Amino acid sequence: MSDVTSDLPQATGHRLEELEKGLFTSDLSVNEFLLIKEVGFHPVGFVMGSSIYHTGIQTRKWGQSLELTKLTEAMYNARELAMTRMEEEAAELGADGVVGVRLTVNYYDWGKDAAEFIAVGTAVTAEDGVSRLNKLGKPFTSDLSGQDFWTLLQTGYFPQGLVMGTCVYHIAHRGIGQTLGTTGQNVELPNFTQALYEARELAMTRMQDEATQLGATGIVGVRLEEKSHQWGSHTIEFLSLGTAVLKTSGDVTLAKPVTIITLDG
Amino acid sequence: MSGLEATSSSLDVKAEVRRANAFLAEKPPTTGAGTSDLSIDEELNLHSIGWEPVELVSGLSVFSTPAGLWNWGQGEIVMAGEAHQRAFVSASQRLHNEAAKVGAHGVVGVHVERQVYSTHIEISLLGTAVRPVGAKPVDASGVFVSDLSARDFTLLMVAGWQPLGLASGASFVYAPRRNVGTALQQKSQNVELTNYTEAMYSARETAMERMQRDAIALKGDGVVEVKLVEGPMRFAGHAVGFAVWGTVVRLTKESHHSVAPLKVVSLNDTDVAFDTAALA
Amino acid sequence: MAPTDLPEAAQRRLSEGAFSSALGVSDFAACLEMGLEPVGLVQGFCAMQQGSYMMGGLSRSLSPYGGSAGGYVQNYQCSHGMISNEHRTWGQNYEQTWVETAWMQGFTSSFSRMLEEAGELGAHGVVGVVDTVTRLTDAKVLEFHMVGTAVKVLDAPAPTTPPWSTYLAGQRLSKLFEAGLVPVSIIASISSIRVWAYCTTEFLMGGAGTMLRNSSGPQEIDQIVSAKSQARFIARSNVRAQLGSDSLRGANLELGEWEFERGDYEFQAVLRGNRVRRFKNFDPLPVPRATVRLS
Repeated sequence: MSDVTSDLPQATGHRLEELEKGLFTSDLSVNEFLLIKEVGFHPVGFVMGSSIYHTGIQTRKWGQSLELTKLTEAMYNARELAMTRMEEEAAELGADGVVGVRLTVNYYDWGKDAAEFIAVGTAVTAEDGVSRLNKLGKPFTSDLSGQDFWTLLQTGYFPQGLVMGTCVYHIAHRGIGQTLGTTGQNVELPNFTQALYEARELAMTRMQDEATQLGATGIVGVRLEEKSHQWGSHTIEFLSLGTAVLKTSGDVTLAKPVTIITLDG
Repeated sequence: MSGLEATSSSLDVKAEVRRANAFLAEKPPTTGAGTSDLSIDEELNLHSIGWEPVELVSGLSVFSTPAGLWNWGQGEIVMAGEAHQRAFVSASQRLHNEAAKVGAHGVVGVHVERQVYSTHIEISLLGTAVRPVGAKPVDASGVFVSDLSARDFTLLMVAGWQPLGLASGASFVYAPRRNVGTALQQKSQNVELTNYTEAMYSARETAMERMQRDAIALKGDGVVEVKLVEGPMRFAGHAVGFAVWGTVVRLTKESHHSVAPLKVVSLNDTDVAFDTAALA
Repeated sequence: MAPTDLPEAAQRRLSEGAFSSALGVSDFAACLEMGLEPVGLVQGFCAMQQGSYMMGGLSRSLSPYGGSAGGYVQNYQCSHGMISNEHRTWGQNYEQTWVETAWMQGFTSSFSRMLEEAGELGAHGVVGVVDTVTRLTDAKVLEFHMVGTAVKVLDAPAPTTPPWSTYLAGQRLSKLFEAGLVPVSIIASISSIRVWAYCTTEFLMGGAGTMLRNSSGPQEIDQIVSAKSQARFIARSNVRAQLGSDSLRGANLELGEWEFERGDYEFQAVLRGNRVRRFKNFDPLPVPRATVRLS
């Protein structure tokens, strides 16, 4: 583990100092703010991390479906860097965790094959003074909104970290040529099915490995995103994201909801 | 007491789920099938007033309009209004027939889709036939068609009102031409273009009037959820169309029953499925 | 159990410790509340090639097409004496059963693969299913993709039957149980009707034309009405055939239409929904409380 504040830019240090004196900033709505207070947390600051990453080039074979490991690595490392920097900012503030994390990728005209990976969120601390750092001694991260955070805590689960897995895959162009001969028939294309299947499974397995490292018992809100970025339609990044959670207390304390009909609007 | 009294049901959901799950392993029953495109929310609303969906029903009609119909002319484009009206009536009649055939008492949640092309007009209706749980079929003339959602239907029923049928009207007009002299004269003035105002006004009135005629024929007290679609036609900018439709209702209890809404403050940014404000 | 055809990656993921769930937090919470424990995200795929029959498919020849076995066919004959090469003396609506078969095969395969994953996890059911059908680039390939969250019923014996499944999750699912209905499976069907217009339809769709100028008032276009009504009817009866004595709830009917030449169309109807079974007698739920928001 590297020195906690080592790689943050100088300007950041100044901003964080001010925050340490008690002022807080946050992109939470008032609703979210109140709900987070409701479960005994206090926002300490808006934190972010970014990384501008040059993604290498990897040759793809026209007729072959396979993972482009170099691109996978690039996409993964860049996000991981952005996340780590955000966690460092949060640690600097003495936060226990970060909620409402958003991960985005920006492309700029000035950098061909370069992309900026950004992670932003609101750092929070527990008001009872008990540390909520995760198994790795780092602030927990999660992409949960204030409402979701509140609800999750009512179920006796606690977030451990935003986990992700990615896989950049090239899908063959004419790998299906052999079946085209039998026109007029409905056929499944097993190679195709298999390739898409494998790519998504790889991404999800990697995500799950991260959760296991955190000692989590589950991942909620898993999303599968598919993007071609700037590689053309046959090269696809499969990204899976979710919040790893750990069961920390016994019972679900949610009251039974009452059904309503709203007369608004 | 008020039918809208919210009571948190005392059911043990976990036990119900276990029971339901075990039930699936048994032999499937032989009675009680039905289809519905209501959302589950709507379904549950119906359930709370003791109604059930019977079958997905549809009615559709396409009417041809003569070529050249939309070319320049004056006043109302009678044939287009007529085609629209007849298509609406046939589609609604077919929907009604399908509902009566499956022994329903009415149709709710009807999606109305209408397409006006230069050569034909299409009206398509798709909804769910409903009835009080296990009720016997009623005489076909008593089967109602409505474009109310199941939610609106539930609220109206609780308040003592009943839907009777669909009413509709349409009217298409040519936007009147100003002669060149008038146009030039008016170019730099603020004036009301009275002939435009009049043409639009009368077209709107005609469409509404037709809808009201339907409502009176059904012996209704009123029309709710009236939808008005108006504007120039995509394929002919000089022609303007007005179409209105809605559900005819009648008060069936001796007086309107208040629904006495509860005031709530929501702590959600947006409407989400699970409303924290509902956790009273 | 049938031999498994899951890819290696899936095997490894499913055998690991932590569960993953595609449910959002509120649906997740509702699941726990009703005693359903998420055990894993499950999915199924199938890439289908539809051969040369897709979209437009057969071209018009001199005489009507016979129709495919068991499918709907309706012929229209022109009653005009006048004949020219351009004059369409016959017209036809027919069901493209091969399009329907390909679609159903894709849907069913991806569905059963998803269930296979769930079975592997010892799940009782699959909730919150999302199914998508996408047209892949270049080739005439449709990809069917299904994702859901496998759940176990707390304190229930291990399943002896294949898992049940539903598009629903969260409070809505909970209320469904309260209402006395248990999900059996997600269900879908498709119908595809091809229309070759005959002269009357062609003229009417084209604005009546000179031939029919003398007719009084607007005329209904029977061939189109019947094709579209049939498309919906077939989708509904295909689902009904799968339902047995169960019912369909929360259904969604999507209609698609493509025009190839004037009067030559393909109409598709896709119906999806939840197949449910009543497990206890009807008992009205409490009427929802009407509310007004103060903001």
